[in-house]
Amino acid sequence: MCSSEEDKLVIEMAEGESPDLTQIESDPSVRQVSANGVSMGTTMVEEKLDEGNIQEAESALRDGLSLNFEEARALLGKLEYQRGNVESALRVFDGIDLQAAIQRMQHSLGDKQPSKKSRSRNESTSAVSQHATNLVLDAIYLKAKSLQKLGKLTEAAQECKSVLDAVEKIFSDGIPDVLVENKLQETVSHAVELLPELWKQAGCYSEAMSAYRRALLSQWNLDNDCCARIQKAFAIFLLYSGVEVGPPSLAVQMDGSYVPKNNLEEAILLLMILMRKFYLGKTKLDPSVLEHLTFALSVCSQTSVLAKQLEEVMPGVMHRIDRWKALALSLSGAGQNNSALDLLRKSLHQHEQPDDLMSLLLAAKICSEDVFLASDGVKYAQRAIANSHGSNAHLKGVGLRMLGLCLGKQAKISSSDFERSRLQSEALKSLDSATALERGNSDLIFELGIQYAEHRNLDAALRCAKQYIDATGGSMIRGWRLLALVLSAQQRFSEAEVVTDAALDETSKWDQGPLLRMKAKLKISQSLHKDAIETYRYLLALVQAQRKSYGPLGSAPQVEDDKINEYEVWHGLAKLYSSLSHWKDAEICLGKARMLKEYSAETLHTEGVMHERQGHVNEALSASINALLLEPKYVPCKILIGAVLSKMGSKMLPVARTLLSDALRIEPTNYMAWYHLGMVHKDDGRIADAIDCFQAASMLEESEPVESFSTIR
Amino acid sequence: MSDQSPFPEKIPHHYKPQVSWSDSYTKAHQAIESLTAILPAISPSLSSSETPASCLLHNSDVATQISTLFRSPKSGAVNDNLCAWLYDTFHSSEPDLHLVVLRFIPVIASVYLSRAALNKPLAGFESVLLAIYGYETAARNGQAITLSIPDLSHSSIYHETKQMAKSGATELHLAVISPSLEPHGTVRSTRRARIVGVALELYYSKISEIPIGSKIEFCEFCKIWSGQEHNDNEGENCESEKNDGIRGGRLNLPWELLQPILKILGHCLMGPDHKNKELFEAAFCACKSLHARSLHDINPRAILATASLLKLGEMAAHHTISNNEIDYTEIAITNVISI
Repeated sequence: MCSSEEDKLVIEMAEGESPDLTQIESDPSVRQVSANGVSMGTTMVEEKLDEGNIQEAESALRDGLSLNFEEARALLGKLEYQRGNVESALRVFDGIDLQAAIQRMQHSLGDKQPSKKSRSRNESTSAVSQHATNLVLDAIYLKAKSLQKLGKLTEAAQECKSVLDAVEKIFSDGIPDVLVENKLQETVSHAVELLPELWKQAGCYSEAMSAYRRALLSQWNLDNDCCARIQKAFAIFLLYSGVEVGPPSLAVQMDGSYVPKNNLEEAILLLMILMRKFYLGKTKLDPSVLEHLTFALSVCSQTSVLAKQLEEVMPGVMHRIDRWKALALSLSGAGQNNSALDLLRKSLHQHEQPDDLMSLLLAAKICSEDVFLASDGVKYAQRAIANSHGSNAHLKGVGLRMLGLCLGKQAKISSSDFERSRLQSEALKSLDSATALERGNSDLIFELGIQYAEHRNLDAALRCAKQYIDATGGSMIRGWRLLALVLSAQQRFSEAEVVTDAALDETSKWDQGPLLRMKAKLKISQSLHKDAIETYRYLLALVQAQRKSYGPLGSAPQVEDDKINEYEVWHGLAKLYSSLSHWKDAEICLGKARMLKEYSAETLHTEGVMHERQGHVNEALSASINALLLEPKYVPCKILIGAVLSKMGSKMLPVARTLLSDALRIEPTNYMAWYHLGMVHKDDGRIADAIDCFQAASMLEESEPVESFSTIR
Repeated sequence: MSDQSPFPEKIPHHYKPQVSWSDSYTKAHQAIESLTAILPAISPSLSSSETPASCLLHNSDVATQISTLFRSPKSGAVNDNLCAWLYDTFHSSEPDLHLVVLRFIPVIASVYLSRAALNKPLAGFESVLLAIYGYETAARNGQAITLSIPDLSHSSIYHETKQMAKSGATELHLAVISPSLEPHGTVRSTRRARIVGVALELYYSKISEIPIGSKIEFCEFCKIWSGQEHNDNEGENCESEKNDGIRGGRLNLPWELLQPILKILGHCLMGPDHKNKELFEAAFCACKSLHARSLHDINPRAILATASLLKLGEMAAHHTISNNEIDYTEIAITNVISI
């Protein structure tokens, strides 16, 4: 606090050199006091103070330096404060009637402002008054600091507040840029910065909040650094204090300007302003500001906004790799996985950080969601596994899990059966070894279940589904769906329905869409068409009600993309009516579906099926071909065209065979494709091949779920 | 929306009962009296206190006893009278007594969520959680909480140059930070996380009045929930003693739970109490565990949030150790003083 005891304190007035009336040389290391052209040592004064003789010390100063009572007291207080004797400083300050001094000051300064006297005279009196004002304000400020050091925080805050109140009264239009003495400005800035801290330390949070706003919204003529410090402290307070006091008052609001309406908005605004100040070079960069902003924006899921902020970051603020990584996380968090992957590729380049685990894992995860990226994902995952050692050894299981997912995805587009089954079994092996490391990770059990199900290992899939529901306490809809679909693949439809009903019981209305759709399909599988139509009707009503009641801010379903849309319901109904040969009803439903989604391969396919079943071969073909133009890899249409062509004579058989083989390449477990391929082989006289195909078809049909496993997310 | 709430005494929106001081005093005394019937040993000073609600909130002995009871294997059942006590205390509509209930949200959430997977009847816990959820639903009128993300191209109250908003300025980006709430009369398993999440949101909104002990307890639970507490062997500071009824506590952490958890953790680490060493260290360890967990889940939002908290925590710890935080409000201490 105080520089060492032996140090001499020199008190000198702002103007005037000290003449040779002193006992001591002007040596800064020796204690000396000079004022009004006179210097004196502080030894005697200090002795008197130490004895508790404030008045004697005061008169010594008054006599020695020709000071008035208040000036002497203010100097004494400052001396004591600097010596670390805050209690004594308080006693000294208590001797002056600060309030009265403030009032005098207000009068003298207040009178000057509207004065019509000559400008030069006005300015000089103003300078004298300002000097006197500062003397008093500085004393109150030091009183507040002394009280703070004694832990009397509320009193300290009140003293500090009185400094600001006085300044506000004296300068009713804000502190002018020029015209203000440096010392006074310094005291004001100190007080502005100290007040909210004092309230905060005193636990008076709403007072702290107003003090911060007062600091930032009034004209105190603060310098950039001081203003930035207060803005940062306020942002931290808003972000973490958990005290919600309400938005700034209407008085500070301007037409059309943005007014934050809660803590989080105000904090984010301040942090953004601070970031901009750094870029403009107005204040020194403070890396913690970006961290606070990152936390604030990620917690409210606004990582797309964070990405924009990171894009604006100037060179030199962050290392480029850190920036790429943060950007990739932000973009991925905002669902922009492709851009995220581009950045990860840069940061994983061999000249950058090719072994960074977080980047490898995120890249592998993004790749695992896209069949065409899956092979890249495999490489990232393998690198992640290879680098999971030391303090990162615990991430090995995550790498294995990603490897399994990527391999499973890759298997879907592999060109040969051999390759596919190799990839699938590797995927299972990898996921299996992950489970040994990732104990208690229920997501992994689910993923393993899906993998088994797609591999048609239904018993294992069933085990995983049950285990997942147990582990999550039935809290995840996707667990219920997996269980029901696996049961349906085992042709245990009524059990699947029981599971679906149980799931519906555990689900609130707005989340029920996918379950109801599955229920309708289960009814169809049991030839309970009327029930199925009823279920669809209910689903339709739900979807329509949902569309109306969902504002843009409605509650999000458990899985964002899992909303059933009206189109899907109409299309499902059309297919149902078509299977019952209710052509008119089917046509109406299809029309409704078409109104909601004009170009859809699915709708065209249903249309084609309806034509085909009514014997309109050309129409069926043209609808299917149109569908393929929209979606060249749309399997059901390839099968439909193949089936139609196979009935058009032996010349068409090779074309049909090509189409069906193509369909099987894309979807090897499609039993319809196997069946029609078998028919082609039979018609062409390859009976053995035909038998193989029919066998595959019948086996697959017996393990066909009512909905594809890939519809579960 | 067919759910019938079993709580007829739900507090309507904006309803602020005009209670006299003596009324809240009586209610707090009643709460203490009924608690004495449940807890084995209650300090008599509690019932003679002039500020009974506040004493109840800050009495660490009572807190320990209640926490211990909750962690016992049979807690939370339908006839659990401690849950009934919390339920009644919450329904007293006394803000001070609300805090007494909210103080136990961490332990209730932890015991409840870790047992929910075991298919045990937990009606006692659920009644308390539903009461809190119902209160919040009514208070918010079911509405979502939204945020207009600031955009510096709009002039704002903190802009230095006060200019009128550009007419061509882009629309502000609207974010939902807490989706709308529908009334629930029972806990459906798929809404469980949301209901607990809302209770944590309410805990956060009152966190400045919650005793530090409860926050430390919360941080300890975060480590257990993350399931990553043993991955980090760097310092014995983060060694957590595996205690009592909550074992193998790794939880599914969907965003509706994780979001309020991260907000609370932010407060524990960087809030006004962070000067409390014990809380700071507990929060820092919790951040480490949740960061490891977010890497296991490869959850970008959680990775960003926890990594930032960790960095901020490290900076704060560094400042404390080296004591190099500059106090800009201190006057220059020099040999030369000038006024």
